[in-house]
Amino acid sequence: MNQRSDLNQTDEDMRPLLEVRNLHMRFPIRRGMFRRTVGYVQAVNDVSFSIRSGETLSLVGESGCGKTTTGRCIARVYKPTAGQIHYAVAEEESIDLAELDNQALRPFRRQIRMIFQDPFSSLNPRLPILQIVGESLKVNRIASGSELEDRVASLLKRVGLRPEYIRRYPHAFSGGERQRIGIARALALNPKLIVADEAVSALDVSVQAQILNLLQDLQEELDLTYLFIAHDLSVVEHISHRVAVMYVGKIVELASADELFKNPLHPYTEALLSAVPKPDPRLRNKGVRIRLEGEVADPSNPPSGCYFHPRCRYAQDRCRAETPAFREIGRDHWVACHFAEELDLRGFEAIGSTAE
Amino acid sequence: MTGATTPPPVDDRAEAAPETRIVVANQWQLIWWKFRKHRLAMFAGLVTLLLYAVALFAEFIAPYSAGTYSATHTFLPPQNIQLFQQTETGWRFYPHVYGHKVQVDPESFKRTYVVDEEIAYPVGLFVRGEEYELWGLFTLDLHLIGAAQYGDPVHLIGTDRLGRDVLSRTIYGTRVSMSVGLVGVGLSLGLGVILGGISGYYGGLIDNLIQRAIEILRSLPTIPLWMGLSAAIPLTWPPVRVYFAITVLLSLIGWTALAREVRGRFLSLKTEDFVIAARLDGVRELQIILRHMVPSMTSHIIASVTLAIPGMILAETALSFLGIGLRPPVVSWGVLLQEAQNVRSIATAPWLLFPGLAVVVSVLAMNFLGDGLRDAADPYQT
Amino acid sequence: MQPTHTRLNAAAATDDVLLEVKEVKTHFFTDEGVVKAVEGVNLSLKRGQTLCVVGESGCGKSVTARSILRIVPPPGEIVSGEILFRQRDGRTVDLAQLNPKGREIREIRGGEISMIFQEPMSALSPVHTIGSQIMEAILLHLTVTKQEARKRAVSMLDLVGIPRPSETLDAYSFELSGGMRQRAMIAIALACEPQLLIADEPTTALDVTTQANILDLIADLQQESGMSVLFITHDLGVVAEIADEVVVMYLGRDVESGAVDAIFHDPKHPYTRALLQSIPRYDSRDNKRLYSIKGTVPHPFDRPTGCPFHPRCDDFIAGQCNLIDPQRALISRDHSARCLLYPTAAIHNPDEEPAT
Repeated sequence: MNQRSDLNQTDEDMRPLLEVRNLHMRFPIRRGMFRRTVGYVQAVNDVSFSIRSGETLSLVGESGCGKTTTGRCIARVYKPTAGQIHYAVAEEESIDLAELDNQALRPFRRQIRMIFQDPFSSLNPRLPILQIVGESLKVNRIASGSELEDRVASLLKRVGLRPEYIRRYPHAFSGGERQRIGIARALALNPKLIVADEAVSALDVSVQAQILNLLQDLQEELDLTYLFIAHDLSVVEHISHRVAVMYVGKIVELASADELFKNPLHPYTEALLSAVPKPDPRLRNKGVRIRLEGEVADPSNPPSGCYFHPRCRYAQDRCRAETPAFREIGRDHWVACHFAEELDLRGFEAIGSTAE
Repeated sequence: MTGATTPPPVDDRAEAAPETRIVVANQWQLIWWKFRKHRLAMFAGLVTLLLYAVALFAEFIAPYSAGTYSATHTFLPPQNIQLFQQTETGWRFYPHVYGHKVQVDPESFKRTYVVDEEIAYPVGLFVRGEEYELWGLFTLDLHLIGAAQYGDPVHLIGTDRLGRDVLSRTIYGTRVSMSVGLVGVGLSLGLGVILGGISGYYGGLIDNLIQRAIEILRSLPTIPLWMGLSAAIPLTWPPVRVYFAITVLLSLIGWTALAREVRGRFLSLKTEDFVIAARLDGVRELQIILRHMVPSMTSHIIASVTLAIPGMILAETALSFLGIGLRPPVVSWGVLLQEAQNVRSIATAPWLLFPGLAVVVSVLAMNFLGDGLRDAADPYQT
Repeated sequence: MQPTHTRLNAAAATDDVLLEVKEVKTHFFTDEGVVKAVEGVNLSLKRGQTLCVVGESGCGKSVTARSILRIVPPPGEIVSGEILFRQRDGRTVDLAQLNPKGREIREIRGGEISMIFQEPMSALSPVHTIGSQIMEAILLHLTVTKQEARKRAVSMLDLVGIPRPSETLDAYSFELSGGMRQRAMIAIALACEPQLLIADEPTTALDVTTQANILDLIADLQQESGMSVLFITHDLGVVAEIADEVVVMYLGRDVESGAVDAIFHDPKHPYTRALLQSIPRYDSRDNKRLYSIKGTVPHPFDRPTGCPFHPRCDDFIAGQCNLIDPQRALISRDHSARCLLYPTAAIHNPDEEPAT
């Protein structure tokens, strides 16, 4: 149908660029005068997935679901408490990033880069653009002096900013322009994988469209792979090849974007899709919106069995007792639900797309 | 990497924003622009600068030296400057003060001064007077203000019980009092930045220990602690050594507030996106601290230092006033105020409280300045 | 009310118009210069209806809402225009003329017009219980005893769907989750049965499932009480879900206003069209690139001459758009756009015609 599905087909047999296996990340909760550890927040709980070269894999979910933590583990902002992150370095060779120390990580830090959500706090306001974008080139002794200026200028041009801007400070730029600067910084070292953490969430609609287009252009030209973390499902639907839905630290469903939006297999995915406001007043009241009762489970004290069962309208006794396995149902469609085969869930289209 | 280039997506279509100076302004320029708008702080800054200038050029500005005394002019009240003098031909510009006659009450033998308008001592700017050595380098006899004829008894703020000029002594006191604040804060800044930085950066057990130590130090009542510690300073020490002992003592307690400030900044900066970005760029830890974290803190630290100085000045004044701080012959505002410590002098010679005015002015000025700096310290909030 | 205005908004003279804003200008007199946050906005809201004000950040939609309630923070001031509000007793009052600290406006605030905000945490007091804040609002505007106020507070919390209302009455705002806080704020806002609820981005900080619940709640409450809602948002999906009428704002003015269906299916102003094209939609996914408006919203200090949108407009007519400030052109009875593409001759603008 379009380039995306082609890519899915061709890449299926390819070895993944990055393979995450049983990733765990927990943060201690400290209390009291001597900051004793009284418990743990299980932010990422046994997450496994792989990212194929050249694709955009999106992580979606509500706030606190662990999507940002997963992204930060992969970019190795955090050292995961358990699990492996296998990064393909050659044909038959991969390296587990999860166990490397800072020194050993240095070469990989060039290849896996990150774009941040907040275009204001992610740029040091006290440094000019030249220093911000050129920092990685300088510390890795790739360029300096006038060569550095040329490199940075061409990076700025690449992301649609004027090269003359290198002497300006971040405060002179709007949110969208700052996000472009953030992207230029990420591109500086010819990366392979970019972790984009809510990269367009803080932007206005018109600017968001510019940045999404820019990200797609860059992907095509530079053969980039994206791990795209977002909560806006319309954006995710637009940009992703495959989508993973997270709930309380676990992936509950993983499939190609087409498949997941058309034919969701997890009740949580169905509820999420139904909650997205459709930008067409004629679709109002078409299809039933699923109201999720209650609150997102507390990741320091999750419910038994399937974490979603207290809010799930299809929940049965088995869901309370037994943790569902994350298994493949159908081609390349993974889900963690006991009743995935039996349930007839509605996708984005059934709930409503354009009426015409 | 830019081999396959497509035209830049959007920006070329939009008009170029005009290049104004604000877009290339660095942090200090922005802080200055923001601070400049704060009128009161600007004025306070000026007053503070003036006070330090007075401290620096005390010998030149003061009409007399700190120790010059006159047995015949004890407790002389302030003399008002008269700008004009009436002559046969009319008024002429002739700044002068009137002389005094001593009257002795025949019953109580109390001496009182009565203004004698017959005698006029001319007053001038840049007059020749006592010789002094400025900073131990130049020998001069030029004074900013004083009696136009060397030897005339001109005491604009009056004299104390030994006939010493209160104005001159207050000016000399500026030097000690203002520098105690500066040196003390300098020492506590060192301690505060190092300990606060360690605490905030490493966290964990070290942080825990330092924080508890700070809490204990802060919970001790300061006056008894100072009294105890300064009582331990041997009486035989020379004044200069006492001076340093007192500043060390003050900073030992003063560093805690700064350490907390630094620690708080470190903790919040550590998780700031741009610091994480720098780490992902491959910047080494020391570089991250020096290039990204410290510059983000300096303006805040300067502001809190400015706010800490008045505390030091007050502490020194309080200690000296109680007689456990600096001691004569060192001249500080606290030492001077100690002389005004009895009812008699307040009743008969209220001008001895003049150094108190200096304390109030300096403390207020530094507080307003610090407030203005604190407001301007983060120019990036929109 | 002047008779000339009635021709533009035919409904203005009839009883069912609750609020009418006419050419309101709100400027901020800062040290750097005058920021024209609102520069001539018009809107009209009928009883029982929902009017959405939509626009990107910096378009003045929040300042418009605050101007109506007269809570524009200094150095902001309403410099001209009328805000006609029909009170319960049938009198029409011009809110723009009232003393912002006076008794009259204070009685209207909370009593007849209530407001809910994006961030409930900053609107709720952390040192008072939820119950005491609701009761305070009730006791201020209604003549009831403390006992009755308490009873009413419990029923309000129940109404907004807070579980165990009598317990939550004694809870503090920080003990509630984001969605529950927003519900509590709605309970406070509705405690005195206002005629008009102003909602300033009330769901922006919430997750999509929580957002859906809050939107449903507001719609249900509106149906029950018959109040009008002025809803401020940047999310066109939300607009499509809840609006009866829509006002699109750009740089402090209404560029287009009309019924929701007309705005989404027959948009006239180039900005509205561009905005609608920039949102990722389910049916747009085959066209890989999103339409994006060029450039960014100009800085408030350098407001373009003529039509404020002309530097970013695809239909820009040189010599016209950059010189002539377009007036409102009537497209159909309830649909108007400020654009030179449409003839203004047919309509009567309050600015052009002197009041007779």
